[in-house]
Amino acid sequence: MDENKKKILDMLADGKISTDEAYRLLSALETGRSTSEGTAKSETTAKTKSKYLRVCIFSGSEHEDSHEGDRVNVRVPMTLIRAGLKFTSLLPPEARVKVNGALHEKGIDFDMRNLKPEDMDELVEALSDLEVDMVNNEGETVKVYVE
Amino acid sequence: MKRPPVLLHVKIRNKRRGFGLWLPIFLLLPLALAVFIVVAPLILIAIPIFWPSGRRKRALHIFGAVFEVICSLRGIKVNMQSDHDYMYISAI
Repeated sequence: MDENKKKILDMLADGKISTDEAYRLLSALETGRSTSEGTAKSETTAKTKSKYLRVCIFSGSEHEDSHEGDRVNVRVPMTLIRAGLKFTSLLPPEARVKVNGALHEKGIDFDMRNLKPEDMDELVEALSDLEVDMVNNEGETVKVYVE
Repeated sequence: MKRPPVLLHVKIRNKRRGFGLWLPIFLLLPLALAVFIVVAPLILIAIPIFWPSGRRKRALHIFGAVFEVICSLRGIKVNMQSDHDYMYISAI
């Protein structure tokens, strides 16, 4: 039994609160739980509905729509990222060994054989929280985010 | 349902000239189908040759993966601009 519910029932049994008050407290507990679950669900829904990865680089003016300076604005569908990651499972074993060797040479301790399709889904889902916003002294801005 | 992009919009402009292009990709699909029909006999001959080598599964997966990548191109937009040059690519 939930700890909070037990406390409420104990207080009712001890006569510290009336039946109505116990009912209101239990209802408030249920409402609070369903609100937090709904918030978690809506956050998950928002994450899974992420459709595009945006990369914006502009210099000269901070405003994205400004026509001054150099601008790069790229919008990549998240489905393309998922589809591209699936290619890693098609790499022949010899190529994976070479890739692992090259990664180890650069000091990256990562094994391509450990990359599974469910890991890729989790990786893409985690990208939904990615947000990069950098501005340097020369007014150049780099923004990377998911929408 | 996954479907490939139907239109490709390309705009390129530099200091001296520029052009814009709407490519109807959906018109390329019948052409791709015709090429596939022409190449189909060769594929049918190649299947029993490569079947024992065990590469058939990877070959089939590659076709599926390539098709998925092409279908995922819908919605991609690339917009690059400098002082004199401008490039815009969009797949719808």
